[in-house]
Amino acid sequence: MRYRRKLFGVKHAFDTRTTEDLFVLAMRENCQFHYDHCAPYRRILQHYQFSPDGLTGVDDLARLPCLPTLLFKRHRLYSLPRRRMLIRATSSGTSGQFSEIGFEPGGLLCGLEMVLRIGRLRGLFSPVPCHYILFGYQPHRGNRTAVTKTAFGATLFTPALSRTYALRYSNGAYSADLDHIIRAIVRHARSRFPLRMMGFPSYTYFTLKKMQQQGIRLTLARGSKILLGGGWKQFYTEQVDKQTFYSLAAEVLGLADADIVEFFGAVEHPILYCDCARHHFHVPAYSRVLIRDVQTLAPLPNGQPGLVNLLTPMVAATPILSVMTDDLGVLHDGAECGCGLDSPYLEILGRVGLRDIKTCAAGAAELLEKLRL
Amino acid sequence: MILARGELYDTGAQDQILQGLEAEIDQTRRTQTLPAETVIRAIGRLRDALADGLFDRQLDALELDGVEQYKRMALLLLSRENIEYKLRVELGADFFKPRRTAPPHGQPSIRTQAMPLGTLLHIAAGNVDGLPAFSLAEGLLTGNVNILKLPQADNGLSLEIIQTLLEIEPALRDFVYVFDTPSSDLAAMQRMAAVADGIVVWGGDAAVAAARRLAPLGARLIEWGHKLGFAYISGYEDEPAELAALAEHIASTRQLLCSSCQTIFLDTARMEDLHAFCDKFLPVLERAVRRHAPTSLGGRAETTLRRYYDTLAQILGGAPEAGMFRGDGCSLTACEDSALALSGLAGNCLVKRLPREQIFSLRRQKGYLQTAGLLCTPERRETLTQLLARCGVTRITRAGNMSAMFSGEAHDGDYPLRRYVRMVDIE
Repeated sequence: MRYRRKLFGVKHAFDTRTTEDLFVLAMRENCQFHYDHCAPYRRILQHYQFSPDGLTGVDDLARLPCLPTLLFKRHRLYSLPRRRMLIRATSSGTSGQFSEIGFEPGGLLCGLEMVLRIGRLRGLFSPVPCHYILFGYQPHRGNRTAVTKTAFGATLFTPALSRTYALRYSNGAYSADLDHIIRAIVRHARSRFPLRMMGFPSYTYFTLKKMQQQGIRLTLARGSKILLGGGWKQFYTEQVDKQTFYSLAAEVLGLADADIVEFFGAVEHPILYCDCARHHFHVPAYSRVLIRDVQTLAPLPNGQPGLVNLLTPMVAATPILSVMTDDLGVLHDGAECGCGLDSPYLEILGRVGLRDIKTCAAGAAELLEKLRL
Repeated sequence: MILARGELYDTGAQDQILQGLEAEIDQTRRTQTLPAETVIRAIGRLRDALADGLFDRQLDALELDGVEQYKRMALLLLSRENIEYKLRVELGADFFKPRRTAPPHGQPSIRTQAMPLGTLLHIAAGNVDGLPAFSLAEGLLTGNVNILKLPQADNGLSLEIIQTLLEIEPALRDFVYVFDTPSSDLAAMQRMAAVADGIVVWGGDAAVAAARRLAPLGARLIEWGHKLGFAYISGYEDEPAELAALAEHIASTRQLLCSSCQTIFLDTARMEDLHAFCDKFLPVLERAVRRHAPTSLGGRAETTLRRYYDTLAQILGGAPEAGMFRGDGCSLTACEDSALALSGLAGNCLVKRLPREQIFSLRRQKGYLQTAGLLCTPERRETLTQLLARCGVTRITRAGNMSAMFSGEAHDGDYPLRRYVRMVDIE
């Protein structure tokens, strides 16, 4: 996997322009690996008469058969034996059907390199220790969701003085305790060390709102940040108007716009998407995005809405090199942003069929997942 | 957002509102009565607003397929005549007027007075737009104080409808509380349930089970759970027309409604009959599905994605699924068993054997029985109808009308309004 190493070693994390050839090479190498080691994947490629050698230019990426995320929920596809996977992460599916994606050490190393590079660009690393507030699940053995893992991982950006979880595990279940969190925030605001909050946008918002109502006004130590993340789901269904959120953070915590960093990712596409100074999600060098026509699945030019297809050669353990999400999105030209990054940026519009699904038939759990009570 | 006594509050105010909830509701129930006429009048004016296009912008934003049809249906449903008819059918005329009993054998007479159940907590499902508002309206028509927990997938339409209704008729304000609390906020849900005399829950088994755990002893549970519809075929009156109507029903509802046909039962014991039926019915279904292809971006994407997934699953699965007849955008699966089951939805139907003599075995799925579309020869219709009725089915229709709405019909075998009231006897 030497091209993969090279790709994840490129200097600039958002250089999608000059890394094009390298990306294709790494994809071909990755595709060949899965073709050789994952029989079901090989069957799919053979069915579409696609051979890994066929990946010679950037236009060939669209011809590479993409696998819908649903396929990973119903089938376990692996290209390495389990013992060679360092971790297996599951999507936070609530209906009992979830993807399980394996990661091997090499892929994780690439992931680490990616996080370091992107994090550095966004000023996420600091030798100054921090207190952490996590609006997410307290890790425990039974919870393998990626959300839990990434939330914990984010507390490694700087040395952690403390970690306070909003969703605490006790007696076999998670429960939310916002008052406990607010007390912790107030306590840490008196500290000389910065405070970092990390988690689902909605929980963070509720907490800040509650603090505002209680008349709490704090000035956090310099270097304090709010890191917003979660799954794709939280990303649009609980959209709080961003400007409202920023002004609330300024009022209650004394944080500037630039101290708020948003990111997202999915187990099936474990690339860190981190927003720019203008809060847009540019495509990093390790990933490519194709927007496909909702009827023909043909790739669409930038600016047109369609199904979101995500590509990366990061993982050898599971064939997630080209994954079709059930999201609708648009890819914008990088120049439209104006932040200085010229890689295109992705805007998620919503989930497929969400507005059409009107089910009340029993057990349609997978559809109901999107319409949870 | 939270709506309490006609005022909008931010979600953050939830604790504060819940704190005063019981005292406020007690005050309302002690001192105010909500006559059905007030509610009917308000709904009538809401209907006029809808007809004038007040909600057109919001409806357009939903990007629904067939939004005009929804609107026509709503206009009919909300008319004064229709609501008065509903009240008359479900409760009888002058239901809330106190009356005296006149028992035989000179037993003493008492006064009987119908009262609202009290406070209803509605836990609404997100699967039908506007459903939360509908549930609330039923609670208001019977004079109850209503706490409505919106589904998380609610798109804001319900709240707008309710706000408009309260603006039209301020007398309703003290009877309506709307919360957007997520179901995961158990503490808040419990506080709502604690003040409720009845809990109305819409949704799947999980939602119903959660409501049961939530309900305090003594609260009436009113469960509108998910159901499975089926068609039963034992001969035809006009085969081409009836099969076309059934296909039309399957394609137009995309099998997403409780009343939608999930399984087609044939009155036979032979697998060969199932295969012959699938061969015959598949092209009919194919045509109907093509006619009802979704037009919205999300709907089209979903269809494409599903079709693509099916192809991949087939490649991975090796041989095609046994008994599966694949059409373009639809499929029929001839199954060995005879159980009522959920289909693959969106034009993918199950076909099973169920000889007449065994129809009664459907009884075992009592929790899921609702609509049966009956296709049969005229001389068998009455017998089969009675048999289906005896085993627990609550709606029996013709092939194409499984999901049609019939004014005056019950809901899952019950008159909802009856469940939202109680009788008080006074000596």
